[in-house]
Amino acid sequence: MHEFLVESLSGVLGGYLYPFILEGMLLTIELAILSLFFALVLGLLGAVAKLSNNRSAKFVAGLYTTLIRGVPDIVLMFIIFFGGQLAVNIIGDSLGLDYIEISEFTAGVVTIGFIFGAYMAETFRGAILAVPRGEIEAGYAYGMTPIQVFIRITFPACVRHALPGFGNNWLVLAKTTALVSVIGLEDMVFRATQAGGSLRQPFTFYLVVAGLYLVITAVSDVGLRWLDKRYSVGVRRA
Amino acid sequence: MSDHSTAKQEVPALQVEEIHKSFGAIEVLKGVSLTANDHDVISILGSSGSGKSTFLRCINMLEYPTSGSVRVKGELIEMRNHKDGSIAPADRKQVDRIRSKLAMVFQQFNLWSHMTVIQNVYEAPMHVLKIPKKEAKEHAEAVLERVGLIDRKDYYPAHLSGGQQQRAAIARALAMKPDLMLFDEPTSALDPELVGEVLKVMRSLAEDGSTMLVVTHEMGFAREVSKRVMFLHQGRVEEDGTPGEVFDNPKSDRFREFLSGSLK
Repeated sequence: MHEFLVESLSGVLGGYLYPFILEGMLLTIELAILSLFFALVLGLLGAVAKLSNNRSAKFVAGLYTTLIRGVPDIVLMFIIFFGGQLAVNIIGDSLGLDYIEISEFTAGVVTIGFIFGAYMAETFRGAILAVPRGEIEAGYAYGMTPIQVFIRITFPACVRHALPGFGNNWLVLAKTTALVSVIGLEDMVFRATQAGGSLRQPFTFYLVVAGLYLVITAVSDVGLRWLDKRYSVGVRRA
Repeated sequence: MSDHSTAKQEVPALQVEEIHKSFGAIEVLKGVSLTANDHDVISILGSSGSGKSTFLRCINMLEYPTSGSVRVKGELIEMRNHKDGSIAPADRKQVDRIRSKLAMVFQQFNLWSHMTVIQNVYEAPMHVLKIPKKEAKEHAEAVLERVGLIDRKDYYPAHLSGGQQQRAAIARALAMKPDLMLFDEPTSALDPELVGEVLKVMRSLAEDGSTMLVVTHEMGFAREVSKRVMFLHQGRVEEDGTPGEVFDNPKSDRFREFLSGSLK
C-alpha cells in the first residue's frame, strides 16, 4: 500500500503535472504574503483607532471589525470582488475614466487582507492593552512624541503578546486563500481540481495539495517560534 | 530664556503656583505652590490620598492641573481651555521639550522591559535629545558606573532585583542631564532590605548638587538629606520649611499625627 502510494505520487509529481501544481502553490504563497501585509497595516490602524480617544475613528474601526467578523468569508469575497469592480467603475465613470478591470489577484489580496485586517485589529488591540501602562507613561515622561512612544515602546513591547493570535490568524489566512478559486484565480486548489478531474485521480491531487499546505504551515511554525524567541528576550519564563 | 549657565539664581529651577486638580467632583489638590532653586532637595511627605503623587505628576503634565501654573527655568507651560471645559497644554512640543529636562523616577520603576539596562539608559538621550549613539552609549556607561550597575548593563529589567531596577531607572533619569529630577515614591515598591541601596544613590546625587523633588515615606531621608520638607494633607500644604523646623517644631496637628503614625 505504502509503496503504491509513493509510486503513484512520484509518477504524477515527476511528470508534467509537477510544475502545474507548484505554480499554483507559488500563487497561493504570493497571495497569502501580500494579503498578510495588507492585513497587518489595516490591523494596526484598526487597533490604534479603537484605542484612541477620537470618537469617529473608534466608530469606523468598530464598524469594520464587527461587520467583517460577522459575515462569512466567501460571502465577503463575492461582495468585494463583484461589488468592488462595480464601485471602482462607478467612481471611474464619474471621473470620466475608461472601464477599469480589477484583476482577480488584486481582488483576492484586497479581500483576504480586508477580512484578516479585522481579526488582526482585535489581536493587536489586546496586545497593546497588555503592555504595562507605566512603560508607555515613562516614554511620555521622557519627552517622546506619541509616534515615538508607539514605534519605540508600545509596538515592540506588544509584539510578544500579539504573536499567538497573529500566528493563528496567519495560518487561517494561508488556508483561506483556497477560497480565491471561486473567483477564478488559479491557486493550487483550483489546479488540483482541474488535474484531478481530468485524470480522474482527485484523491491523489487533493492529497498533494494537503501536503503542500502542511509544508507552508510547518515552515510558518518555525518562523513564528523564531519571532517568539526574538520578542521575548526580556521576559522571565516561569 | 532657559540659559542655565548665566542665569544663576535669578530664575528658580521650578516655580509652581496655586495648582488645583480635580478628578470629577473630587478636588485632590487645593492650591499647592512650590519654588525650587537649583541644587535644592525637597521632600514631599503626606499620607496616601494626600495628593502628593498627583502634585508631582502635574509638574511634568502627566496629569493636567485644573488651574494654576508651572514654570520650569522661568518658562511657563502654556495651558489652553477646551470647549468641553477641559484644560490641556497648548503646545505639545513645548511639553515634550520641558519633560526632557524633568527626569522622572517612578514607584514601579517602569523600565522598558524589551530593552536591556543600557538600552533603557540611552534610549531617550538618543531619540529625544538626538545625541549620537556612540556618545549616548558612553554617557550611559558612565551613569551606570555611578549607580553601581555597570556589570548588569546587558541584563533585561526582569532579571534584576527591585533595587537594581530602581537604580537603573535613576541612571535613565541621570542620562538626560535633567534640570530637575522628580522621584515618585522611589522606594515604596521595594523589599525593606533593598531600600538602602537606592537611598544611598539618591543621597550621593543630592550631595553632588542635583535638584530633586522627592515624594517619599522615608523620614530618615527627608530629615537628613533634604533641604526642605513639605507636608501635604488633603490637597493642602500643612507644613513647609527646613527639616529642622518641620520635624522639631511642627505647626500642624496633622503632621504630628502623621509622624507618630509613621514612627510607631
